Amino acid sequence: MGNTPRATRRYSARSPLVGYLLRRLGTSVLLLFGVTIVTFALANLVPGDPIAAALGEGAASNPATVEAYIQERGLDQPLPVQYATYIGGLFQGDMGISLRTTQPVADDLAKAVPATVEIALLAIIVSLGIGVALGSLAAYRRGKISDQLVRVFSLIGLSIPTFWMALVSFNFFFLQLRIAPGSGRLSPALAPPPTVTGFYTVDSLLDGQWVTFTDALAHLMLPVFVLSLFTIGLLTRFVRTSVLEVLDADYVRAGRAKGLSGPRLLFGYVLRGASLPILTIVGLAFGTLLSGTVLVEAVFAWPGLGSYAYNSATSLDLPGVMGVGLVVGVVYLSINFAVDLLYGVLDPRVRLA
Amino acid sequence: MRTQFRYVAAAFGLTASLALAGCAAAAPEVSDSIVIDTAFTLETSDPGRNYVPTGYMVSKALYETLLDFAGSDESTPVSGLASFEANDDATVFTFTLEDGRVFSDGSAITADDVVFSLNRVAGMTESKANFLMNGITVTKIDDMTVELSTETPSLKLPALMTNPSLAILNSKLVMENGGTTDDSDAAEAFLNETSAGSGPYILDTVNFESQVVLTENENYNGEEDIDFTRVVIRNVSEAATQKINLEGDDSQVAVDLSGDQVASLSDSINVFSTPSAQTIFLLINQSEEVGGVTSNPDFANAVRYALDYPALLELAGAGSEQATGVIPPSFLGALENGVDQDLDVAAASLEASGYNGESITLEYPNDYPVGGVSFTPLAERIQSQLADAGITIELAPAPFTTQIDSYVNGTEAFSIWFWGPDYADSANFLPFSAGQKVGLRAGWTAEQDTDVVNLASAAENSTSFEERETAFSNFAEALQQRGPFVPLIVPGSNIATASYIEGVAYNSTWTMDIAELQAK
Repeated sequence: MGNTPRATRRYSARSPLVGYLLRRLGTSVLLLFGVTIVTFALANLVPGDPIAAALGEGAASNPATVEAYIQERGLDQPLPVQYATYIGGLFQGDMGISLRTTQPVADDLAKAVPATVEIALLAIIVSLGIGVALGSLAAYRRGKISDQLVRVFSLIGLSIPTFWMALVSFNFFFLQLRIAPGSGRLSPALAPPPTVTGFYTVDSLLDGQWVTFTDALAHLMLPVFVLSLFTIGLLTRFVRTSVLEVLDADYVRAGRAKGLSGPRLLFGYVLRGASLPILTIVGLAFGTLLSGTVLVEAVFAWPGLGSYAYNSATSLDLPGVMGVGLVVGVVYLSINFAVDLLYGVLDPRVRLA
Repeated sequence: MRTQFRYVAAAFGLTASLALAGCAAAAPEVSDSIVIDTAFTLETSDPGRNYVPTGYMVSKALYETLLDFAGSDESTPVSGLASFEANDDATVFTFTLEDGRVFSDGSAITADDVVFSLNRVAGMTESKANFLMNGITVTKIDDMTVELSTETPSLKLPALMTNPSLAILNSKLVMENGGTTDDSDAAEAFLNETSAGSGPYILDTVNFESQVVLTENENYNGEEDIDFTRVVIRNVSEAATQKINLEGDDSQVAVDLSGDQVASLSDSINVFSTPSAQTIFLLINQSEEVGGVTSNPDFANAVRYALDYPALLELAGAGSEQATGVIPPSFLGALENGVDQDLDVAAASLEASGYNGESITLEYPNDYPVGGVSFTPLAERIQSQLADAGITIELAPAPFTTQIDSYVNGTEAFSIWFWGPDYADSANFLPFSAGQKVGLRAGWTAEQDTDVVNLASAAENSTSFEERETAFSNFAEALQQRGPFVPLIVPGSNIATASYIEGVAYNSTWTMDIAELQAK
C-alpha cells in the first residue's frame, strides 16, 4: 500500500492526462458526496409528513400500519443513521424504496432515465445540426435578410414557453394534421421491445422489430421538436456570435486569401476556431434538457426522469427525490468532465503538456 | 456561398427525413382493444396491498369480491361472488358462495380461498388496506359458506366487502408463491406479474409508471359479457393530453377531464358526468387558541349563510353539485337540500359572534385541484362574497404537501379542504363528528357537542338499514346546522368515451368497472 501513492505520482508525472483524470475523478466523487448530503438535508427539511402522504387518510389512521411502515423503512432512526444507511446502500446500488411507487428507486430510475436520455440525445443532435447551420448562415450573411430571419427565428425559439408549445404542437400535428402519433413512447397496440439499452428505437432495432422502431421514432418526433426549439435558438445565437469573431481572425483571412474552398474553410478553420464556446453551451444545454423535461414529459405522457421527479416531489417521496438529485448530479458532472476533455481534443493550446 | 447553402440544406434535409420516417409509421390495428387514459395512482397489482384509485380500477377487472355494487348505485351492496345474510344485531354476516365459479386457472373458488384472502389482508399490517379488516373475524362454515363477525354492530361490513382490496385470491396459487396470512407474506412480486383471481380479465403486463395491459380471462364464468378482449390503461397525467388523445382516437376513454374540458368536446364523444364522492368544505376552527373569533359558533353560522353557493358552483363545471352536507349525494343519509344564502341571518350571526372586522386568514392547497376544481379561484370568490357580508379574508395558499400538515394537526383557523371516502359507505363521514378525526382538526372536541357525538354513535351502531338511514340523516342534519364545517361543492366526475362505447358507471372506489364497457 505504501508504494501506491508514489507509484501514482510517478505515473502522473509521466502522463499529465492520467493525473488530471484521476484528480477530476476524485473531485467528482467528493461533489457527488456533497450532492447526497444536500439532497438528503433538503428532502428532510421540507415541511410535511411523508408517512401520511404515502399512506393516505385511512391507512394513516391505523397505528399497526403506520408502525410497520416506519419500521420497515427505518424512519424511526435518527437522521444521521438514516443517511449512513442510505450511503451504505448506494455503494451496493441500493437507492432505497420509493414511498410512492413502493418499488426500488434504482429500478424506477433504470426505466425513467433511458426514456429521457432518448429524447434529450436526439434533441441535442437535431439542435446541434440546425443551430450550427443557422448560426453559421447568419454569421456569413451578417446584416442581410437571411441573418435577420434567423435571428428572429432564434428569438422565437428562446421565447415560446415550452409547455404551451408542447400542447399547441400536439394539438396541431396530431389532432388537426394527423401526421404525428398520440402520446406516450409507443402506440398502445405495440409491446415495448426487450430491454437492452432502454432506448425503444435502439432496442427494437436490436431485436429486429422494424414496426416498433418506426413507431417509437414517430413518437419521439414531437417531444424532440418541442425540446429542440429552445436549444436551437440558444445555439444559433452562440454559433453566430462565435463564428463572427472567428471570421475576422487573421488565420481565416489568410486561408481565404490562399483560395481555400468554402466547406474546407468553414469546417477546418471557422467552426473549429469557434468550437470551444459552442461546446460549452452544448454541454450545458444537454444537462438542462435531461433535467428540465418535466413539462414536455407531462404533455406527451412520457414516462421519463422529469415525470418521475415531479411525481416524487409532489408526493413527498424522499427516496425518489434523492435518487433524481443524484442522477442529475452524475449527469452534470459527467457532461462537464466530457466537455473538459473535448477542449483538449479541439484546441491544442488547452492540452496538458 | 452556394456550397454553404448546400450544407445548410443538407442539415434541414436530414432533420426532415427523420421526421418523415417517424410520420410514416402506420397506426397499428386495435380491433377488440380499448385504451383508457388516466392519471396514474398505481403502486402494486397485489389487491391486498392496494389502496389507490388506479389500482382499484385494475383490481376490479382482475378480481372479484364477495359483494358488489350495481352500476353507479352505491347505496346497497348486491351479490358478487357470494350472497349474504346478517343476524338481527348486525354482528354476524353469513356469506354463501355462488356455485360453479372458477379462477382464471380453472380451479374452483371455495371458502378456503375467502378465508385466506381476507385473513391475508388482516395479517399484513404494513398493507395500506389492512384497516379495512379491523375488528372482523373470518370463519369457514363449510366449503361454500363463510361467516364474518364483529364485536359491535357493523352494517358497514357489506360495503367493505365490495372493496377490491378484499378481493378473493386463488389461495393455493398465491401460497405457492409466497402468500401467507401474516407479515411474512411475500406474494407481492408474483402478483405484480400474474393475476390470481376470477375477474373477467387477467394481467398481461404492468409498468407502474406508464401502462397496464389486461387481456380476456378465458375461464371467466361470471355475469359480465365483455366486448373488449384487450385493455390498455395508460398513465396520462395531463387532462389536456387525455382530451386530445380521445379526440384523435388514440384512446377511447378519458377518465380525468374537468367540467370545462368536457363542455368543449365534440358531439361525437360520449360524456358520463355525475357528482363524485368528494366533498369540498370550509373548516372553521372551534378552538379559541387556534382561531380566536372563528371559535364562536355564530361566526361559523355567519359564514354558512353569507355564501352564494350557486355562484361557487359555477367554478366546478359539469357533473358537480352544491354539497348538501358532509355526506355526498350518492350515500346513505345524504341531505336533499343544501344551505341557501341568507344575508340577514349572516349579519345577525356575525354581530352575535363578536367579530370586529379583523382579518381572518383563509388557508388552502393551491396545487391540488379536486375533481377539476382549483382552490385558488374558489378561495378568491369566497373572499369576495364574505367581504360583501362584512368579513375580511386574507388568502394564504400553499402547496398541498406542506399545507396538509397544519390541517391534520388542527392548527388552521379557517381553511378549504376536501374529504373522500375510503370505501363506499356513509360510515366514512363519521370522522366529521365532534371528537373524531376531522372534527378535532377543526378543534371540535366531544365535550363541545355531546348531542352530535350521540348521533354519530347511533349511526355507527345501527342494526337495521332503515334505522341506519335515519341515523345518518340526523347526523348530517346536525352538522349542517351547527358544525364547524361549511360543505361547498361536490365536484363532478367526468368520464368521456368514444361514441361507440357505452356502459360507463362511476363508482367512488374503483372509478369505473372496465368489464361493463360495451361497444354499441
